[in-house]
Amino acid sequence: METYLFLTSVVGVYIGIGVFVVGMAWRIYQWSTTPKSPVKLGLFPKPATATGRGAKMLKDTFIAPHSARIEPVMWLFAFAFHVAALAAFVGHGRLVVEYTPLVQLLGSDGMRTFAAWSGGTAGIVMMVAVLYWIARRTYGPFKQLSVPEDYFLLFLLLGIIVMGNHMRFLGHVSAETYREWFQSLLVFRPVIPAEISGSNVGWSLGTHMLFVNVLFVYFPFSKLVHTIGAFSANLVRSE
Amino acid sequence: METQAINTLTGVIDKKMTRQLKQYLDICARCAICKDACHQYVATGDFTYLPARRAELIRQIYKKYFTKAGEFVPALYEARDPDENLLDELYESTYACTGCRRCMYYCPFSIDTAWILSAAKAILIAAGKGNEMLGQLADAALMKSDNFEMFKDVIIDGFKDVEGKLKELTGDPSAEIPVDKEGADVLYVALAGAHSILPAAAIFHEAGTNWTLSMFESANYGYFFGDAEKARRIADRFMDEAKRLGVKEVVITECGHAYRVAQFFHEAWSGEKHPFKVRHILEVIDEYIKDGRITLRPGAITEPITYHDPCQVGRNGGIFEQPRDIVRAVATDFRDMTPNRAEQWCCGGGGGLVAIAEMEEFRLKSGAKKLEQIKATGARIIASPCENCRLQMEGLNDQLDLGITVKPVMDLVLDAMDLPR
Repeated sequence: METYLFLTSVVGVYIGIGVFVVGMAWRIYQWSTTPKSPVKLGLFPKPATATGRGAKMLKDTFIAPHSARIEPVMWLFAFAFHVAALAAFVGHGRLVVEYTPLVQLLGSDGMRTFAAWSGGTAGIVMMVAVLYWIARRTYGPFKQLSVPEDYFLLFLLLGIIVMGNHMRFLGHVSAETYREWFQSLLVFRPVIPAEISGSNVGWSLGTHMLFVNVLFVYFPFSKLVHTIGAFSANLVRSE
Repeated sequence: METQAINTLTGVIDKKMTRQLKQYLDICARCAICKDACHQYVATGDFTYLPARRAELIRQIYKKYFTKAGEFVPALYEARDPDENLLDELYESTYACTGCRRCMYYCPFSIDTAWILSAAKAILIAAGKGNEMLGQLADAALMKSDNFEMFKDVIIDGFKDVEGKLKELTGDPSAEIPVDKEGADVLYVALAGAHSILPAAAIFHEAGTNWTLSMFESANYGYFFGDAEKARRIADRFMDEAKRLGVKEVVITECGHAYRVAQFFHEAWSGEKHPFKVRHILEVIDEYIKDGRITLRPGAITEPITYHDPCQVGRNGGIFEQPRDIVRAVATDFRDMTPNRAEQWCCGGGGGLVAIAEMEEFRLKSGAKKLEQIKATGARIIASPCENCRLQMEGLNDQLDLGITVKPVMDLVLDAMDLPR
């Protein structure tokens, strides 16, 4: 268990974050150094001012109102997934630093309850959305259009979410303990607390991290770069 | 596949590579939300016409030859060579696309499939698989300008015939169709054929506009063919004329793609700013009506009438309200289609499809959604400012014997003008 955790939750994290940062920087560099076509590809109606275009770009990116109209069910799952993923991301911020003002507001018991409910909901919502996406890719034109990358990413996400949910719902390791592990990575003096390796979630943290690291390594080379590209592509729409 | 052939085709992608294209190829999630946006996919259920699939064929080449990940693990992306199989499917899906960009409208990332397909067309042309008919029509247009002295007299004679009709129509023996007139305010660029000249001439005459008629037609088969260089040279024919005559504005006739080429593409292609404005004839006519420069009999048309937004005029051209205002000025029973404006369904006739004989059956089949919309309005007249749209909707009408009349908007204006005829 110690070796597994050392590989996935120490070494792997460094590799994952390293490749992710360099890969995304490379991707953005490539995009920004490819000359933009002077042909304006905007669709009408479009805002007349730069502020209006910026606002429309943000709305199109975060809300995607047009997609909502044409396939509401898909939109609902996609929207729910992205909101839940954002919530989960913010929640994981507690690994870096405790949200002290929130703890002061809710009390430490209140914070635990809040984290259990919000984290649990996000985990379930993401799991349901990913299962929906997998199911959607098993038939008709969706299946025909899918390539191995699509399934690979979905199963990777599913693995991450299921392992995360296992820790959330079945584990008894506190946020403080996880934070101790993660902060030790940040100061390059990695420690895996015995409370984790000795618990029922040692292997689920290891597997969670294994999948996360693979996702981070693959991210810059996958269609997931839409997380950044969607902004500029949606801006082109209003030009 | 031979290395040299691959290099030629990937070289084309390299030349066409822009930031927009690169991002579109990198970010598509293959969510297929676009499938219900495409009239061709909806009407046929054929995977070939699913917008993301059309783009995916280019993405497969891109992944293999332009990305490290695709080079190392091609199977992950189904990355492959631009071989005969791929090129054949690419031909099918690319030249069928009308470029309506309805898929872009609904895409959460606003991926412009038509922009990706412009790279596809360049690849097909480089592989010797460009659409023959569209290529010939483009070359014919350039032949006309390259050997202009040979054609000039015939063209001017043709205009004289139309001028005779104009005199009859307006009852004014001094009415004329000015050609090659220096110092004119407006250069009007029509299509081949009197139908796009006569109504505009009568309207310009009535409004007292100082105008001149272009010797060249606005239609641009170089654009449909997918050769940007030829497309630019075809548009240069009247753009250079406009510069030479020193006009204040170039007015494009009721045509979709020609308007878009003149208004949005030509400056980018030529790298020069136009020293004149570009407007669509319906913007001009709407202004004449609102300024009282032409008077119309309100209620000249009592039959139910609807308006079809051509993709290149509406969603891609930004002209939505002026044509509707014109129709409302002459008709008592205007009924809009649902959906309309930016969300309007493509009629199926764009992209040069009406010029390709072997596409006819498919083209009419792909008009299913438009047909549904038209029937739902109960209109007896359809007004639309695009020749391709009109030909397609006439085809739909004939096929089912609907008894609907399809008209250019300016014909309605002509019908409502007080002319001795």
